[in-house]
Amino acid sequence: MFSLEEIKSRLEAAIPTARLEIVANPSPSGQHSLRVDRDSAVAVARLLRDHAELRFDYCSNVTGVDWLAAEWTEKVKIKQPVEGGEQEIEATRTARRPAHLEVVYHLYSMEHRQGPLILRLCTGDRTADSHLPSLTPIWRSCEFQEREVFDLFGVHFDGHPDLRRIFMWDEFKDFPMRKDYVEPDDYEYEPTPHDEVLAKARKHQLPEAPT
Amino acid sequence: MMDAGLKSELQKQGVFTTTLESLYNWGRRNSIWPLQFGLACCAIEMIATTMARYDLARFGAEVFRPSPRQADLMIVAGTVTKKMAPQVVRLYNQMAEPKYVIAMGACAISGGPFKQGYNVLKGIDRFIPVDVHIPGCPPRPEALIHAFMTLQQQIAAQELTGPRRPRHLQPELPSEFPVPRYGDHDLVPPKNPDRWTAPAISRSNS
Amino acid sequence: MSPTPAEVSSNYLPVLGLAVAAALCACTPLWLGRLWARYFSPGKPGADKLATYECGLESKGDAWIHFKSGYYLYAIIFLIFDVEAVFLLPFAVIFTGLGAGAFVSLLVFLLLLAAGLLWAWRKGILNWAGDPARASFRGELSALPPLD
Repeated sequence: MFSLEEIKSRLEAAIPTARLEIVANPSPSGQHSLRVDRDSAVAVARLLRDHAELRFDYCSNVTGVDWLAAEWTEKVKIKQPVEGGEQEIEATRTARRPAHLEVVYHLYSMEHRQGPLILRLCTGDRTADSHLPSLTPIWRSCEFQEREVFDLFGVHFDGHPDLRRIFMWDEFKDFPMRKDYVEPDDYEYEPTPHDEVLAKARKHQLPEAPT
Repeated sequence: MMDAGLKSELQKQGVFTTTLESLYNWGRRNSIWPLQFGLACCAIEMIATTMARYDLARFGAEVFRPSPRQADLMIVAGTVTKKMAPQVVRLYNQMAEPKYVIAMGACAISGGPFKQGYNVLKGIDRFIPVDVHIPGCPPRPEALIHAFMTLQQQIAAQELTGPRRPRHLQPELPSEFPVPRYGDHDLVPPKNPDRWTAPAISRSNS
Repeated sequence: MSPTPAEVSSNYLPVLGLAVAAALCACTPLWLGRLWARYFSPGKPGADKLATYECGLESKGDAWIHFKSGYYLYAIIFLIFDVEAVFLLPFAVIFTGLGAGAFVSLLVFLLLLAAGLLWAWRKGILNWAGDPARASFRGELSALPPLD
């Protein structure tokens, strides 16, 4: 069983052009993941599958994440040189995240009994540049799941053998799992509405006559 | 029409009388053949209802037909997704008259737990007429049997002539309902306005 | 002394009567049902109801399509085993009572069938591959750059 850092360094040694980044998971489960750049994703995936010591031969799950553009401030500790050494001071800094779509692959190795290794692939943006290389040629089990991510998130997988919608009908235009998806307004009959549903149902009600 | 008192008096003497109407309804209500199809988990309860423990055959309804041409009853057993709704309506249209519909379970009635989702039809009665609704998630086989008995009572109360004729004896009532089309964002139309309008909700404290 | 034609016909007259009665018994309910339908239940034909396909889906395209010839070859190979079984079973039943000539002739028959099977095997018909839908997918697999 290799740690994620070991896997990362092996991958970097084998594929020098790959830009890899470990995304830490601060929760108790501690399932850290590996972010891979788009251009070297297929090569990285092939190596993960075929490397004799890694042999991640099974992709169990493919999911999508929709990241809207966000801006937040965070406190960071900066070391500042002061007289007679260094001093740690706290500074606020503004972090920015551009809108993008992310696809997450969960890999296991049946041969070495290890996993999950979590791969993350990010698109450039949420509209024109929502293309990613398909990993279906590497792991056959990705075929339907990448179709699902395409159907619900609108990520276009280049090199997928059969990229069609899988759940919604072919004529459907939207991507329902995106955060800015607006569902059809059929809230005309909501017997027990609350919260958001109540607000949507109210639009269908006639203004009540004053009693 | 025979007086009810005379009828029971004759029965005591060993003479049984009937009318054409009640004979007709008796025959129809004891030979309801359901269409053999299930949409989700409610279908499991429907299958259990037909098996030996609950034995739907007691009601003459054990002959589940694999073709809509031979079926009298459509049990909408489960979640009707928007992708499946046109097929369900088309199957209903292909059934021969007289035909009945039981909406089984919360999903078939209203969308159930998926009511506010983007992909589930909020009740099959938006497109086709439903005779009996059974709530439950899923309803127990006893509830389905209760729905059957309710349907049988409905059939027994129908008349051969006059305004209380069943649907299939009224030439002006339609036998087919428009099949919704797959649209860009939703079914087109999302509901059949001739068939279904939202019930009025009175909310005094909202 | 054979019966005259008149005697024959009179002997079989009750049978004819029974046949007519049976036909009436079968046809009367159907006819009554037709009559009932005409006077009570109006026909309500429609485009959906009269559609040929009854799975709820709309039929697309033509029923006269090309399909994989592999199915045809499989049927032929199935026939080899089928014919073999048909001839082997009676052969096995009376096996002990047969002479050497019968044994040899059946062996020749079996060899002929085996030769047919061998031919099919050599031709690669038993290999269920080459599904055109997946051909492009395999092509992509092989088109990938090899791992050093």
